[in-house]
Amino acid sequence: MTIAGMVWRNLFRRRTRTLLTVLGISVGVAAVVALIGFAQGLEKVWQEAYKARGTDLVVTKVTSRSPLPVPFEQRALQEFLDCPSIEASAALLSDMMGVEDSSAVLVFGWEKPSFLWDHLRFLEGRAPESGASREAAIGRIAASSLGKKIGDIIQIEFEEFTVSGIFESPALVENGAIVLPLEQMQAATGREGKVNFLNLRLKDPPTGVAEVKARLEKLHQGFSALDSAEVASRNSGIEIVRAMSWATSLLALFVGMFGVTNTMLMSVFERVKEIGILLAIGWRRARVMGMILLESLLLSLIGGVFGLLIGICIARALETADLLRGRLKADIGPGLFLVAMSLSVALGLLAGVYPAWRASRLQPGDALRSE
Amino acid sequence: MELRGVVKEFDDGRVKALRGLDLTIMGGEPVAIIGPSGCGKSTLLQIIGALDRPTSGEVLFDAQPLQARRNLAAFRAREIGFIFQSFHLIPTLTAAENVEVPMFEIGLSRKARRARAVDLLESVGLGHRLEHLPAQLSGGERQRVAVARSLANTPRLLLADEPTGNLDSASASRIIELLVEIHRLHATTMVIVTHDPRVATRVGRVVHMLDGSIVSDGPIETENRT
Ligand SMILES: Nc1ncnc2c1ncn2[C@@H]1O[C@H](COP(=O)(O)OP(=O)(O)OP(=O)(O)O)[C@@H](O)[C@H]1O
Ligand SMILES: [Mg+2]
Repeated sequence: MTIAGMVWRNLFRRRTRTLLTVLGISVGVAAVVALIGFAQGLEKVWQEAYKARGTDLVVTKVTSRSPLPVPFEQRALQEFLDCPSIEASAALLSDMMGVEDSSAVLVFGWEKPSFLWDHLRFLEGRAPESGASREAAIGRIAASSLGKKIGDIIQIEFEEFTVSGIFESPALVENGAIVLPLEQMQAATGREGKVNFLNLRLKDPPTGVAEVKARLEKLHQGFSALDSAEVASRNSGIEIVRAMSWATSLLALFVGMFGVTNTMLMSVFERVKEIGILLAIGWRRARVMGMILLESLLLSLIGGVFGLLIGICIARALETADLLRGRLKADIGPGLFLVAMSLSVALGLLAGVYPAWRASRLQPGDALRSE
Repeated sequence: MELRGVVKEFDDGRVKALRGLDLTIMGGEPVAIIGPSGCGKSTLLQIIGALDRPTSGEVLFDAQPLQARRNLAAFRAREIGFIFQSFHLIPTLTAAENVEVPMFEIGLSRKARRARAVDLLESVGLGHRLEHLPAQLSGGERQRVAVARSLANTPRLLLADEPTGNLDSASASRIIELLVEIHRLHATTMVIVTHDPRVATRVGRVVHMLDGSIVSDGPIETENRT
C-alpha cells in the first residue's frame, strides 16, 4: 500500500460529496477551456482572415483598436504606397450593417481589382461587377442564414443588390459576410473615398515588415501598420472578450476551489480520530499534511480532467449552434490543456493548505479521545 | 523509563488527572496498571507514550527526558507500540494495510512493508484475513490486527490501554497469550492498563492507582495468582 492508495480510497468514502466537489472544479475548468478556447478562436479567426487574404501588413488609423476602425481618406496614403518593398495594396471598407431582417451582418467593400478577391472560392456564380449593375457576393453561411440564391435581390440598409455569387473563404468571418466592390460600399454608407483598412502584400515579408513600418511612421503620423498576429491581439474587441473570459472562468475556478476546501475541512473534521491514530502510531505532522494535500490535489485534478472533457464538449456544441456556426471555432489545443491542468493543480494545492494545516495541528491525545 | 513527579491537569487545573506520579519501569519489564474508572490510567499511558505532555514533572526514556527530544513523532514511531481498547484501526484499509501504516515512518520499501505486514499478521494467526477490512473482522480479530500493527516497527515499549476491555473472554485470552508470547520472544517492555484480573496474574508487577496517585506497587501476591 502507498499513501496515494490511502488517499485514493478516501475519495470513495463519501462518493456523493466527492462527485459534487469534483463537479465544482470541473465547471471552473470547463469554463476556462470553453471560454478561453473561444477567445483564442476569435483571435485566430482574425489572424486567419489576414493570412488567407495574403496580407502581410494591415494599415489602420492608430487610434482605433476596434475590429472596425475609423475610416480615413484613401488618397492620404498615396505617397507611402509608392515604395519598392510593397508588392501590392488593397483597400477595404467594412462595417456591420442591417441586411434584410438581420440587424448586424459584416459587410465588406473590397477594392477591385485587387488581390483580396483571389482567396474566395466561388461555389456558385462569380464575383460582383463594379459599375452600375449593383451586385454583391455573399458568403456560404450568410447565404444559408439569409436564404439567398444567385440572382436574388438582397437589401443592404436601404439599397438593393443582386446576388452575383456565393463563395467560401478560408477566413471564417468572411463566410458569414457580404462582399461588395469598394465604391458601392462607399456609396451605400455615404463614405465616398474612404476606407478603414489598407492590406499590404510585401515583396519580401520577413525583412520588409520593419522597413515598411518605419516608412509609414515617418511619412504619415497617426497611422499604424501591424502584421496579422498584432492586429488580432491588439483588437480591442478581442481583448475585451479575452478579459471577460478570464474573469468569468477564474470566478468559476475560485468557487470550485472553495468547494474543495470545504470538502477537505469536513473530511478532516470527520477523521479527527483517524488522524489521531496516525499521529499516535508515529506519523509525522508533515506526512499528515501531505496526505490531506494529496487528497485535495487529487480531487481537483479529477475535476480538471472532467472539466477538460466537459469544456471541449461545450465548445463543440456551441460551434454548431446557429449563432456561431461557420463564424467562430474554439481554439482548444495542448497549450490550453496545460493551462487548465496547471490551474487545477495549483487550486487543488491552495485549497488543501488550510485543511492540511488544521489536520496537522491536532493533538493526538485529544484526537483519540474524541468520538 | 522513569516518571518523576508527573502532574497532569485538565481544564486549567480544575481536573487533576495525575497528582505527582513517580514510576520507574525497567527495560523488558511487564507492568499492569489497575484502578477504578477515572483514576488517570489512560492519561498516564498517553504521557508515557508521548501523546500528551505532563503539566509538570518529567518523563525519561533511556535516561533522556522526552521533552528534550526534537522529534517526538519519530520517537513514537520507532520506540513505542500502542494498543487501544477500541482497536482504532483505519476503516478504509485492509488488515494488512493497517499493519503497514506505521512503517511509512521507518523508510521501508513498499514490498518490504507488505512482506512484514503479512509476517506479523501470520504471527497473530490472521494469515487468512489479510485483505479483510476492519468491519469484516470480529472484535478479537481486530484487536489482533492492532497488536500486529503495534509491533510493526519492533518497538521497545508496548503500551496497551485495556486491550481486552471490548472482547469476550475467549478472544481476551487469545490477546493475553499473544502479549505474553511477544514478551517472551522480544523481551518488550510492556505497560498494560487493565480491569481484567487475568492480565494482572500474568505479569510480575501490578501498579494500583487511585484518584491520580499510585497506592500500591509490587509483585502480585500469591493468592491472587490462582
Ligand atoms: N481531555 C480531558 N479534559 C478534561 N478532563 C479529562 C481529559 N482527559 C481525561 N480527563 C479526566 O481525567 C481523569 C482521568 O481520566 P482517564 O481517562 O485517565 O481515566 P481512566 O483511569 O483511564 O478511566 P477508565 O478506566 O474509565 O478508562 C478523569 O476524571 C477524566 O474525566
Ligand atoms: Mg481509560
